[in-house]
Amino acid sequence: MALKVLAVDDSKTIRKIVAKAFSAYDCVVIEAENGVEGLSVVSRDKPDLIVLDITMPVMNGIEMLSKLKGQPELKDIPVIMLTAESGKDNVMQIVKMGVKDYMVKPFKGEQLIERVTKIFTLEPKGTTAVNEFSSPFFSVYEDIQVLTLPEKADRSTVAEIEGNFGMAIKSMAAKGLSRFILNANKTKEINMLVVKLITSIVQTCEKNRIHLRFVGSAGLAAELKGFEETSGFAIHSSVADAKATF
Amino acid sequence: MSDINKLDLIGFAINSTRDVFQTMLSMKLNVIESRLPMKSPNKIVGCVSFAGDVMGNICVHVPTPFARVMTAAMLGMELDEVEDEGEISDVIGEVSNMIGGDLKSRLCDAGFPCQLSIPSITRGNDFVIESKGWMRHERFAFQQEGHLAMVEVFIKTVN
Repeated sequence: MALKVLAVDDSKTIRKIVAKAFSAYDCVVIEAENGVEGLSVVSRDKPDLIVLDITMPVMNGIEMLSKLKGQPELKDIPVIMLTAESGKDNVMQIVKMGVKDYMVKPFKGEQLIERVTKIFTLEPKGTTAVNEFSSPFFSVYEDIQVLTLPEKADRSTVAEIEGNFGMAIKSMAAKGLSRFILNANKTKEINMLVVKLITSIVQTCEKNRIHLRFVGSAGLAAELKGFEETSGFAIHSSVADAKATF
Repeated sequence: MSDINKLDLIGFAINSTRDVFQTMLSMKLNVIESRLPMKSPNKIVGCVSFAGDVMGNICVHVPTPFARVMTAAMLGMELDEVEDEGEISDVIGEVSNMIGGDLKSRLCDAGFPCQLSIPSITRGNDFVIESKGWMRHERFAFQQEGHLAMVEVFIKTVN
């Protein structure tokens, strides 16, 4: 079972560095960009580990940690704090709040992994059978990998899907599958995050020679036509219809 | 509280900058102490502020071509893979945050408690940041493989 890591940082750069650090291991990294978003992801996804920045807009890491520690079902999730401030008062404040460990920026990904291995045993990728990959958004239908997008995709959901998508591609390669259906029938709102996710999926499928089909409502098809990146996509009304076109 | 005029601000800033570039970008810097503002036709400036018993700003001035090199190095990408301007701004903001965070910690440890802001980014052509009313204004430039960049620190005590 992959270790689920939540990276909470307002800097996309730091979230990418954290995700990259874990990429060699059997881990799924999900992201949030402030404390409010972080708490929402924690409640929904129950991560095994949180890597938490301190200085963030909307809600900082100290406040998020304090709220986390106030919830009995979440207070035991290990937290590693990331801080740009190494002053002794700052460090004492963090330690007193019951974090597992802290790291002062600048840091290297290997240093983060070293801290994590004090808490968890990290399995290198490849030692877990790729067939064990599971996610609420991904399923296999008659030898076709299907990604069903949720009703509403916020930043953290999209980040989770992006993380799982890489595993799905590996799982497909291991099983010899080459057909992929992106099912957006449930999706009620198309925003730029979803458009970017779809275009990224298209590019990855092209790169990996995977045949891709889209499923969605007429309304969705009209919405997608409004975006330059997705205006040329052919949309099918059901998974069965899409399957018939392979 | 110690005397703010006796703090080795330039030494703090140089050490922090070297540490950030070495750790996050695997770059060794050649530091040039300079009183001249950096002129660059196109640059990005990342600033963080601190406020408390001392107030101040630390600004990192980076010419755009060097900012792209820094972004590629920090994210482990090839230079031609850096396309997103937001990504470049985020990297410069994070570098400023790390340098500013270290300086803030040293100020706190020296008896000047203060809080750090989140970074802000300014982009443009041929501009100079002028700032008045500060007790200290320190600046140094650094070179890295032909690129020239600059760090400025402004600071004053609050009574």
